[in-house]
Amino acid sequence: MSEIIIEAVDLEYSYPDDTKALHKVSLQVEKGEKLAILGSNGAGKSTLFMQFNGIYHPNSGSIKYQGQDISYKSKALIELRKKVGIVFQDPDSQLFSASVWQDISFGPLNLGLSEEEVISRVKKALVDTETTNLQDKPTHLLSYGQKKRVSIAGVLAMEPEVIIFDEPTAGLDPRHSREFMQLLDKLSSEGKTIILSTHDVDLAYSWSDRIAIMYSGEIIAHGDPGELFLQPHLIERADLELPWLIEMHNEFVTKGWVPASTPLPKTKEDLLRNVPIKSDLQSA
Amino acid sequence: MNIDSYAYNNNLKTVHPVEKSLFAMITMVVCLAAPTVITPLIVLVLMTGGIIFKAGIPARVFIRLMLVPFSFLMISVLTVAFSISTTTSGFWLAHTFKGLTIGIHYPDLITAVHLLLRSLGAVSCLYFLALTTPMTEIITVLNRMKVPVIITELMVLIYRFIFVFMETATTINRAQSSRLGYVTMKSSFRSMSCLFSALLGKVFVKSQELYNAMAARCYTGEIRVLTKKHPIRLRNYFIIVGFEIPLIILNLLGR
Repeated sequence: MSEIIIEAVDLEYSYPDDTKALHKVSLQVEKGEKLAILGSNGAGKSTLFMQFNGIYHPNSGSIKYQGQDISYKSKALIELRKKVGIVFQDPDSQLFSASVWQDISFGPLNLGLSEEEVISRVKKALVDTETTNLQDKPTHLLSYGQKKRVSIAGVLAMEPEVIIFDEPTAGLDPRHSREFMQLLDKLSSEGKTIILSTHDVDLAYSWSDRIAIMYSGEIIAHGDPGELFLQPHLIERADLELPWLIEMHNEFVTKGWVPASTPLPKTKEDLLRNVPIKSDLQSA
Repeated sequence: MNIDSYAYNNNLKTVHPVEKSLFAMITMVVCLAAPTVITPLIVLVLMTGGIIFKAGIPARVFIRLMLVPFSFLMISVLTVAFSISTTTSGFWLAHTFKGLTIGIHYPDLITAVHLLLRSLGAVSCLYFLALTTPMTEIITVLNRMKVPVIITELMVLIYRFIFVFMETATTINRAQSSRLGYVTMKSSFRSMSCLFSALLGKVFVKSQELYNAMAARCYTGEIRVLTKKHPIRLRNYFIIVGFEIPLIILNLLGR
């Protein structure tokens, strides 16, 4: 059993206008894991994320970081936010400066690092997000995808232990989306814990170690991606769809191309490998 | 917002912002203090040359920009130049009509021309700074001049959000126009009022979101950012001194 790094315990949260946003949410996140939170619009994913680094206070329940309840005193919150970083969904509300360079340097400077260290971290973040060529451009002349990558760089430069991405691939084109997933794998191999929210079931299924499904403020299921997607009623209840890999796999199994005992494919290559070559083609 | 894009894309963008600001500001003061029309004329030529040939801003763009203050200036300059009187004495050029004389006194004409050239000269200095130096760097210079942090931080946020809200307003306006929101005078007024109220609501939502996002990056009430280092070129300081000293001497001689 690996170490639990961050944990939500029986969270209840309503917005000031009494809209119930979270109901009895409990979730454990292991150190170094890749967790995807799946849910339709308005399921409460973003609200849960704001709880994880103390921006929202729960009405009841608590957030634990490394086993300890987080404190909402300002000093303790700063310490928490050094370790738990959030990349917000809308880059326009995250980028406060018109200069890419200045915006990325904001976080690391708040960590109290030396100027040289900040410069090297900013440069590394620019390289990691492929934004080096954008560093002298003003943020308002960037495209949506470029702004998104800059806002990711702004959080990477702080080198948090846990990085939370709210809808990271929404608005990215396929190439940058793929490169972003490679960046996530790299971060993951460096030992970072990554939580991301999405309603892209294919992405969640292929990438994550574990999935939690949220529906109207509750976590209705969590566990191994393969097991979750074998329960179609759950997926339907959460207004989601099956990943195409699983749909194809199921189809192959029912039509007898693939034996039922075959493990679920994680990638397109897995799926194609499972399908045998037709016997008359083989002999030819 | 043309000016803004040129500020990020001109041949002088790598020059240290302090050097550009010093050049523009000192020249402006010298121009405003000029007792003769010669200094403003030289300043105007100098800045036009700097903007068009050194910074590489298209002449067409610069002329259009200069026409903006020009129309305001003409109104005030004409009122200075012309006077109305019941006597015809002292006029250099005049027309009498039913006992009233409208015309120009010679000294007034000189004052008006002087005023016009001085203003145009000063405006050209400001354009030089605005067209070659991005706002973010001007803010850095202000910071270094020990301007209170509250002012510079507000400038940072306002500058950023002008563009965010312009974009939002443009989107709303397009959505309204595509649904015939501006076909009649009445619908235009209604659409415009909707646009403003929607924008006001967005301002509050956005500001809360921005605060949350900054708090998530350990914001504690002071915006600290790193600014890019520009190379300091001694040569540029010599150029500034080389231009300003003759202009100041010219001013002193004309007194």
